[in-house]
Amino acid sequence: MNEVITRPRTEAALIRTVRRTVAAYSAIASISLKEAFAYTSRVWVPFVIQFISIVVFIYFWRAVYASSGSTLGGLSLRQTLNYVILAQILVQLWEAGYIGLFGYLLRQGQMGLELVRPIDFQFQFYTRQLALLLYFILQRALLIPVLWLFFGLQLPSNPWVWVAFGISVLLGHAVVFFFEWCIACLAFYTTEVGGLYQTRTALARFFSGSLVPLALMPAWLQALTGFFPFAQAVSVPISLLIGITPLTEAPRVWLIQLLWVVGLGVLSRLIFRVAIRKVTVQGG
Amino acid sequence: MKRYLKLYGWLLLQQIKIKLEYPVDFFLSVISQIFIQGTGFLTIWVVMAQVPKLNGWNFYEVALIYGLLTLSFAVSVTFTSNLWFIGYTYIRSGDFDRLLVRPIDPLFHVVMDTLNYSGFGDFISGFILVIGSTLALGLTWTPARLLYLAFAVLTGAAIFVGTYLITADTAFWIMDSQPLTYSVFKNFEFAKYPLSVFPRAIQFLLTWLIPYGFASYYPASYLLGRDTGPMAWVGVVVAVVLLFIGRRLWFVGLRRYSGTGS
Repeated sequence: MNEVITRPRTEAALIRTVRRTVAAYSAIASISLKEAFAYTSRVWVPFVIQFISIVVFIYFWRAVYASSGSTLGGLSLRQTLNYVILAQILVQLWEAGYIGLFGYLLRQGQMGLELVRPIDFQFQFYTRQLALLLYFILQRALLIPVLWLFFGLQLPSNPWVWVAFGISVLLGHAVVFFFEWCIACLAFYTTEVGGLYQTRTALARFFSGSLVPLALMPAWLQALTGFFPFAQAVSVPISLLIGITPLTEAPRVWLIQLLWVVGLGVLSRLIFRVAIRKVTVQGG
Repeated sequence: MKRYLKLYGWLLLQQIKIKLEYPVDFFLSVISQIFIQGTGFLTIWVVMAQVPKLNGWNFYEVALIYGLLTLSFAVSVTFTSNLWFIGYTYIRSGDFDRLLVRPIDPLFHVVMDTLNYSGFGDFISGFILVIGSTLALGLTWTPARLLYLAFAVLTGAAIFVGTYLITADTAFWIMDSQPLTYSVFKNFEFAKYPLSVFPRAIQFLLTWLIPYGFASYYPASYLLGRDTGPMAWVGVVVAVVLLFIGRRLWFVGLRRYSGTGS
């Protein structure tokens, strides 16, 4: 079982190792995908939930604009609606985390087993989360035509905007992943993770700009959002997609996101190395 | 009845002991729930700082609606949220058989097993909102108003419990009822705002089908002296009807129950 770790000496051996590694990680990815689709209720419930919250926000914002001028914080009603609809979808990236899984592994005493597997523990989780991102996109894509038809959701026709958005989502997803990792490591100290998960979710919901477009927040709140990574996965990519941030700004946006990814990535590995010494296996 | 009350008190005490086993998590749960409510409310504050009124309701009036809903929800979730997991935790696992052989009502048993302390955080948030908004609006708390507040919160909580129970009953047929409960419950998002903001169909839905409007919009209107007609009081009838349907459906389901065979 442990032969994967041996150092390859020849080119053929190297290729074999790469092939084996790819096979291992793609197996993880496909199992995660199958798991996600296995429970039908898990497929339709997020739909219903998402639909309700979007409808609530649409009427809320219509009422808001009805008693104000034609723009708020420089955004028209149409822009705000486009933003809010998409934000309600993307914020799910923050809500479907793996902190709970971490806590479960700890409580069930399975953490030890996971750690001795001959693949990188963190990369194994990242592969799983990437597969879930794919699942997320496939599932939510069905929502887009409905929203376009009934609620006038407008999407750009320029393919480069989509490319810029795609890259930004991928980077934002990595920011979420590494931030989650840092928080999940606290489970080694607290054992129970429900409270941790909820606190993170509450902060993410607001500071990602999923409830109110950042442009509408007062200056001090906007400044505060900059200190959190949350907006990187929600407000930042959406602003690119619906044109609040012009396409020419895309490289700058990606660079900032990349800095977040690298910073949090390094931090997450450091925290894990310290926290792992605390590992307590309950009932084991 | 007396026996059940005594049992309830004793089991509640045991629940508290269990929860205090993980004090950090307990603390975080309460705090985080305040965070969740706080950030939800911050949204309304941020938006309403820029517009004077939302469909004729000012900021503090909307805060009162939000606060009342949060109080009702808090009470229901603290004491009955196990109803959410009846399918997953009890029926699917076969654990439900354990309750059936005990000399007490199994529904009572499921409810007794609950003490969801995240509800404490909701209660604190709702309380702050209701008190804060009424102070800002210059509303004095006469005994009659206090009584009405208690009436409204209990009615609202009963309506929440009614919707949990009816959807939980489906566990006897579909096993995992939690997704359905959650989907119905999620409609409370509408009730955080003045119902008049929404189109008629949604107003009807929130008044007669998933009647969370009675936990927020109608009592808030009444407390603010708006013309509500009988709607300020109808909630209690609606709550009783919901609980009655939930209980009847429970018995129908229970007769059908034959265990999961595991």
